[in-house]
Amino acid sequence: MAGDGTLALAALLLHAVAFLVLAVAAPLRRLGRPAGYVSILCAAGSLAAAVLSWRAHAGEAISRLVWTWLPTEGQTLATVGVLADADSTLMLTLVALVALLVQVYSLGYLSDESAPALGRYYAYQSLFAFSMMGLVLAPNFVQLFICWELVGLCSYLLIGFWYQRPAAARAALKAFWITKAGDVGFLIGIVLLWRHTGTFDLAEMRVLAGNGAIPLAGLAVITFCIYLGAVGKSAQFPLHIWLPDAMEGPTPVSALIHAATMVTAGVYLLHRTDWLFALTPDVLAIVVWIGAFTALLSAVLACVQTDIKRVLAYSTVSQLSYMMAAIGAGFSAAGFFHLLTHGIFKALLFLGAGAVIHAAHSNDLTDMGRLARRMPQTAIVFTVGALSLAGLPLFAGFLSKEEILGAVRAGGFTAPFAMLILVAFLTAFYMFRVVFLAFFAEPVALHAGAPVAAGVGAHASHVADAGHHASHAAAGVAAHEPHEPPASMLLPLWVLALLSVAIGVYFTFVHPEPEFTSPAWLMPVAVGSAVAGILLAWATYQRRAIDAASLAAAFGPIYRSALARFWIDDVFERAYLLAILGFSRVIGWIDRYLVDGVLNMLSAWTVTAADDLRTMQSGRAQDYVYGIAVGLLVLLLWVQFG
Amino acid sequence: MTADAVAFWCLAVVLVGSALAVVLTKNLFHAVLWLALALTGTAGVFLLLDAEFIAAVQLLLYAGGIVTIVVFAIVVTERLVGERISQTSRRIAGGAVVAGGVLALILNAVRGQVFPAARPEMVGDLTRTVGETVMTRFVLAFELLAVLMLAALMGAIYFARPDD
Amino acid sequence: MGLQAYLTLAAIVFCIGLFGVMTRRNTIGILLGIELMLNSVNINLVAFGRYSGDVTGMVFTVFTICITVAEAAVGLAIVILLFRVRRTVTADHLDLLRG
Repeated sequence: MAGDGTLALAALLLHAVAFLVLAVAAPLRRLGRPAGYVSILCAAGSLAAAVLSWRAHAGEAISRLVWTWLPTEGQTLATVGVLADADSTLMLTLVALVALLVQVYSLGYLSDESAPALGRYYAYQSLFAFSMMGLVLAPNFVQLFICWELVGLCSYLLIGFWYQRPAAARAALKAFWITKAGDVGFLIGIVLLWRHTGTFDLAEMRVLAGNGAIPLAGLAVITFCIYLGAVGKSAQFPLHIWLPDAMEGPTPVSALIHAATMVTAGVYLLHRTDWLFALTPDVLAIVVWIGAFTALLSAVLACVQTDIKRVLAYSTVSQLSYMMAAIGAGFSAAGFFHLLTHGIFKALLFLGAGAVIHAAHSNDLTDMGRLARRMPQTAIVFTVGALSLAGLPLFAGFLSKEEILGAVRAGGFTAPFAMLILVAFLTAFYMFRVVFLAFFAEPVALHAGAPVAAGVGAHASHVADAGHHASHAAAGVAAHEPHEPPASMLLPLWVLALLSVAIGVYFTFVHPEPEFTSPAWLMPVAVGSAVAGILLAWATYQRRAIDAASLAAAFGPIYRSALARFWIDDVFERAYLLAILGFSRVIGWIDRYLVDGVLNMLSAWTVTAADDLRTMQSGRAQDYVYGIAVGLLVLLLWVQFG
Repeated sequence: MTADAVAFWCLAVVLVGSALAVVLTKNLFHAVLWLALALTGTAGVFLLLDAEFIAAVQLLLYAGGIVTIVVFAIVVTERLVGERISQTSRRIAGGAVVAGGVLALILNAVRGQVFPAARPEMVGDLTRTVGETVMTRFVLAFELLAVLMLAALMGAIYFARPDD
Repeated sequence: MGLQAYLTLAAIVFCIGLFGVMTRRNTIGILLGIELMLNSVNINLVAFGRYSGDVTGMVFTVFTICITVAEAAVGLAIVILLFRVRRTVTADHLDLLRG
């Protein structure tokens, strides 16, 4: 029973049931919280099923449960169903867990929302969870692509949840179109791959790849196209620009979609098809370099953000790039491992940030400070998350990050390896910058003459859900009096924090069988760079022994470029405008001179020809008789001699 | 040469000659008279074809009726103008070529066909047969013709009514 | 005499009528040409009827003559009316419908 994929299917379908119930039963949806309970109930059942399914598939057990779809000429073009194995059920469990926790958390976080909006939110959440699970369990590329697009749609809907706000609507569109750009490549890649191998099925394709039956000629183009899809979804350079803007959505959404699950779909895809990518080492090298570069770029960007969610967003980009780098180095298991641990602690960080925003009514780090006193529990779990992200021993990110570093080094990529070490340092620095600024240091506003390293108000417009909360706070009693969040929010935080620690402790002592050998100095170097980052953050923002401004000045050009987001967004905007305007101009020219020109010419000809023909119409009856007679003559000639 | 053939040739000469005169005479009044002659000649042709009744109708209606109407019209218009209406032609060459071409082609078509040389013997009275056919098989058309005549008559009176 | 002779005669008269219609300047002259053409058609009808032993051709001739008379009456009425209004019987002057 458990081994045949039914449980995985149940986990998948429970969310679909929740979505359908909420979508069809509009009165229930408009009730708000009861709608949430329906979703949460289904999510809980889904989690149970996912865990059981994971236990059943640990090891080598693989079960396929597929139905024929799109039959063509006696054979099946595509199927739908589930492909449950160790990786997919593990991922399934992560998705189910985070989805459940986020849904519980949302009850508290979005308690100020109107009932219909809340119902809508939960309907989207269920749809997302269903789509994501469908993606994870997809037995073939067709289902995978459909779910891939579905999660993109949910991402769009949830980023634009507060669609009345122009910034949110714009961010939703941006996310949608930028990821679409990658998806085009993905779709082309899938179709090309089908022509190449004659199947969409992952398992069949894997057998083919194992037999060496897939021709290598042209395969690099295909894998690169598929990688393009991952670039869009997992926010790799240069398509990473949508993710920070996606923070316009509610924080739980950011935690679920834009940290733990959807954005990792690209990494998951590459992990899922690593046997295919292994055939094209050139593409893998591109993956490593782009991964390392994106990791460094976004880590630098994260250091200058003042918006707490944007720091986390860039951190997510950076960590996703870490995973990509490991996969590119040929050790996709390491990337997948980091994906799982990252999913846990990044969800924790986002939810913690949400609690902080909930309490401080602001996204801006400069508005915070000494929050640890007011909300000690949040401070603890957030610090746990930060330590995990920094990769310290006993915490979740420790081993997975080290694995990645080892993988990249073992893959023979020295320069990317160095970049990633630097990123490890930066990661610790920007994470603890947030921790100190938000929870422990004096509020900046009180600390006269010490502007934070980041340009204050550089992104003042990005006060995402803070402004939303502030408006509610104005109506509430204790305005601007930070307090511990309600139990519905604390519970998920603690669950995630304990999981992070548990995973960390477990893997600190139980090393899994490594696929490669890492030198002994790797772990001290990794941990050392992280500790150095933490210390620098402490010295700068807690003790203020190092002036943040002078630190910024020391990295003058980099600092200023980072503030401008390295002008990548501007380049995109310009390119977009240029392309659109150029295209419009071409179209305009064609319309004006070709389409209209032809029409004008035709009409002019018609007029002149009619003017000429008009003279035939003499108005004299006899001329017409003459014409008839000539016509008769011609007719007779034709009949007799034609 | 039989009597029929002699009669035919004579009638043909009269007919063609008067027809040419109709279209070529300068004097309109003379042209009408030539037309009367042509119509009478046609009546003769009908007689040759054993159609006495048609010949009678031709003489009464055409030669009598139409010619009278036309003469009336000429007289009326001439009186209105106050001068004799002579008529001239134009595009004679072009008209001749076209009309000649049409004629040549029709004759060419006629020549190529095989026609019954002898006419079948008519049994009984042809006039009576025509009358019976008109009153039986074509009675509806006949009635409609009556309506048409009435309408034409009223239209003609309406058009030609004196100025108020 | 064979049918052919009558058809030839009718064709000649028809073309003379056609020539008249095309060349006459006077409206009444045109009407005369039309009468000639119709007349030749009648010859055809009667000749065909006689040679095929069928009276239908002759019945049609009766009809045609009647219609022709009606046409002549209306046509000449129009000519008189036109003359009254436009003071001309020259067909070339009647070109109100010129394009």
